[in-house]
Amino acid sequence: MDKSNPVASAVKFRGGGFAPTPLRGVGALVFFALIAFAEFGTRSGFISALTLPRPSDVLLTFKELYTSGLLWKHLLPSLTRLAVGAALGVSAGICVGVAIGLFSLVRAGLVPVVAAIFPIPKIALLPLFVIWFGIDEGSKYALIAFGTFTPTVVATYGAVDNVDRTLIRMGQSFGLSWFSIVRKIVLPGAMPGILSGLRISLAIAIILLVAAEMLGAEYGIGAYILEAGALYDLERLFAGVVILSVIGVIVSATLGLLERRLLDWRT
Amino acid sequence: MSNLINRRTVLKLMGGTLAAPFVLKHAGAANRKIKVGALRFTSHSASFVAFERGYFADAGLDVELKFFQAAQPMAVAIASGDIDYAVTAISGGLISLAQKDAIRVIGGALSEEAGIDGQKILASDAAYQDGVTTPSALDGKSFGMSTAGSSFHYMGSRIAAQEGVEMKFKPLQKVGAIIGALKSGQIDAWSIVPHIAKPLAGSGAVHIIGNVSDYLPDYQVTTVFTSRKNALEEREMSEAFLNAFSQGIDDYTAAMIDKTADEDAMVDLIHKYVYADRERAKAAPSIINGTMRLNKGAALNMASVTDQLAWFQSENLVDSDISIDQLVDASYVDITGQ
Amino acid sequence: MEIRLEGVSHHYADMEVLRDITLDIPQGKIVCIVGPSGCGKSTLLRLIGGLEQATGGRILQVGDAPADCLNPLTYIFQDFALLPWRTVAGNVSLVLEDHGISGQQANKIIDDVLNRTNLQSFRHAWPRQLSGGMKQRVSIARALAVNPAVMLMDEPLSALDSQTRELLMDDLIGLWTATQFTAVYVTHNLAEAVRLGHHIVLLSRRPGRISDIISLDMPLNERHFGDPVLEAQQARLWTMMRDEARAADAELLHG
Ligand SMILES: Nc1ncnc2c1ncn2[C@@H]1O[C@H](COP(=O)(O)OP(=O)(O)OP(=O)(O)O)[C@@H](O)[C@H]1O
Ligand SMILES: [Mg+2]
Repeated sequence: MDKSNPVASAVKFRGGGFAPTPLRGVGALVFFALIAFAEFGTRSGFISALTLPRPSDVLLTFKELYTSGLLWKHLLPSLTRLAVGAALGVSAGICVGVAIGLFSLVRAGLVPVVAAIFPIPKIALLPLFVIWFGIDEGSKYALIAFGTFTPTVVATYGAVDNVDRTLIRMGQSFGLSWFSIVRKIVLPGAMPGILSGLRISLAIAIILLVAAEMLGAEYGIGAYILEAGALYDLERLFAGVVILSVIGVIVSATLGLLERRLLDWRT
Repeated sequence: MSNLINRRTVLKLMGGTLAAPFVLKHAGAANRKIKVGALRFTSHSASFVAFERGYFADAGLDVELKFFQAAQPMAVAIASGDIDYAVTAISGGLISLAQKDAIRVIGGALSEEAGIDGQKILASDAAYQDGVTTPSALDGKSFGMSTAGSSFHYMGSRIAAQEGVEMKFKPLQKVGAIIGALKSGQIDAWSIVPHIAKPLAGSGAVHIIGNVSDYLPDYQVTTVFTSRKNALEEREMSEAFLNAFSQGIDDYTAAMIDKTADEDAMVDLIHKYVYADRERAKAAPSIINGTMRLNKGAALNMASVTDQLAWFQSENLVDSDISIDQLVDASYVDITGQ
Repeated sequence: MEIRLEGVSHHYADMEVLRDITLDIPQGKIVCIVGPSGCGKSTLLRLIGGLEQATGGRILQVGDAPADCLNPLTYIFQDFALLPWRTVAGNVSLVLEDHGISGQQANKIIDDVLNRTNLQSFRHAWPRQLSGGMKQRVSIARALAVNPAVMLMDEPLSALDSQTRELLMDDLIGLWTATQFTAVYVTHNLAEAVRLGHHIVLLSRRPGRISDIISLDMPLNERHFGDPVLEAQQARLWTMMRDEARAADAELLHG
């Protein structure tokens, strides 16, 4: 080899990949493609009416629901149940979670209890709740509250545990009162964890809505879906499921907004 | 159904090809393997009798009984091709599946008949003490049902209409949940077959305040149904099934209603399927209490079926343009009530 | 106000960390504490600040803190310990709120300390927007806000790059020249010790004992980067420490 004139070649690029980049519109495109496929399939007949409802029929059913005023008749009780149940469960969950995070005695006493009730399918307790809280709104609030309570507790005390200890040390070194430390350091420090726990809790609340409306609900999105299932009315079933999805998306977007407001210090 | 994308269909076809040499041995109409859906209720006795006494086998059918917890999944199982024949009440779901060309009603089974104990109207103890001693006092009360569009919904509505009262209908999904709600006074009233109604009333927690037959005298409670494909393309097999089923009905009626056959032997037979977890002595009264009329020859009361369809349509529970022909294939059995 | 340590020793479980430390921290002087890694410097500082209790000996506060002093013993942390959810001004105001100082009065103090640390224009910035040096300035400003009698600094410059460190050392010298605060300054950087310390306390490896105390008479504002006298002192300290540091380095942790 000629030492004075070595061959020069570009260094081979080995980096790249493993870095998710946001691609706008792809999600919407996939949605659109799936719906278009279902529409085409049901129209041409290679997907039978028994397998999937025609998307345009679902839309029509939805429109009917809206124009007949039944939409609000179903939506309002459901939203009330979600709001009241989740508010009860989440606020109790945050209080208990913070108490577990702060007090060793509460932690020793309640962590095993929470671990024991976490895996219970709350639906299984519905008949019991009916006896305790009545077949009307009480049992529905209780089911949703109970379902959101445990994940909120676990997320909250995890978040409190994860608050940077040096910040607490700092508070103590400046002679801040215990209450100030909790209010100004522990709670804001735990807020990101609590909010991401809230995402899970509220999704669970929506899932439990259908279960809560299994017993004795005349109106409600869950009742509507159950009725559509019993009638094997796929259009109504899908219309109801889409409403639940939309509620989920709205809740998630609201939480995103809340996060941006409360956690504007992050980025 | 032939255009349905169905993994199971494909698998069945593949399995069929592979198993072909063995199938050839049992060729012909004889020993057709079929599955019959049933609930563990006395109202399904005809299937049990036809199975136990070999009437199905005599008809060349190799029957496997498939048990379900509720009527609704049974209708869906017919639609999905998992079972071939079943007996269940007419509900909104059944009509909806018929509209989608998944199923057809081909015969009748349980009927209300004057003079034979039929379904009972029940009131909770609280409501009873409150003055609900007859169905006419049900105004403003709540009535239990499994779901909207169930047979309970139909019965309750018809009773309310004839009494001129307004009731609130509470969906509770399962019979067990309805019983619990009625016993604890969470709902005020319900209607149910006698073998469930009588023991409940006996305990004092609920009271019988009337008979469904007073309001719906010839109510066709349950029907025999199958897939549309079986009804249209498997005529021989469907007729064979209905024949055997009718023999079962005859035996049941002779023993339990006409008392011309051995009642004890019949109770023994039914006890193998119904209340099997209780001892014979305890099960027997319930089985006897549950006796209702099963239509001779699986005849179908078309007037009742038409009325039911009309009611489901008027309540907007099913499409208003479903015709009775989409629901019923009237070519198999005697049609009554017309 | 002075701090006096009399025969202080400390154990964690059965691990002896500090042994028989007797030391005076005179009013208006900066005492640097140097020593090999793990010898108990941070522990000593926590004991002085009252965040932990010594298992032996006494730590005394001699004389009263000045009347306008809100928090006599005030920390400056290596990792700044700023609340990320509060702005620069908010972080300073945090330590005033508990003393009932708010509104106009608080603003006056905040303005004053931000001026002294050259942070006026960062008043409304979030901590995440600041460089490491700026963050440590905020933490110093916060400490100044409570008018401390003694500042306790645990490697305050260790998290910074060497240029920023130089700049902040100059800032600290400027601050001290203006107000002559009392400070205990823990570091393992000998260059910092000779630039900032009136007295340099050399600790042995664990269990930490005082192996030497060196006093430097050169006024702080005359000490500059690369000064040959300081470099000679630094080299001397290093020869004294080297064997201890090597031995400490070779030790198994929690051996
Ligand atoms: N809370 C504690 N519990 C048990 N051991 C501890 C605790 N804090 C410190 N130690 C141990 O005490 C010894 C001294 O720790 P310290 O942090 O005071 O050393 P240091 O001189 O500051 O070291 P460095 O130079 O690494 O900062 C170390 O061995 C450390 O592991
Ligand atoms: Mg340290």
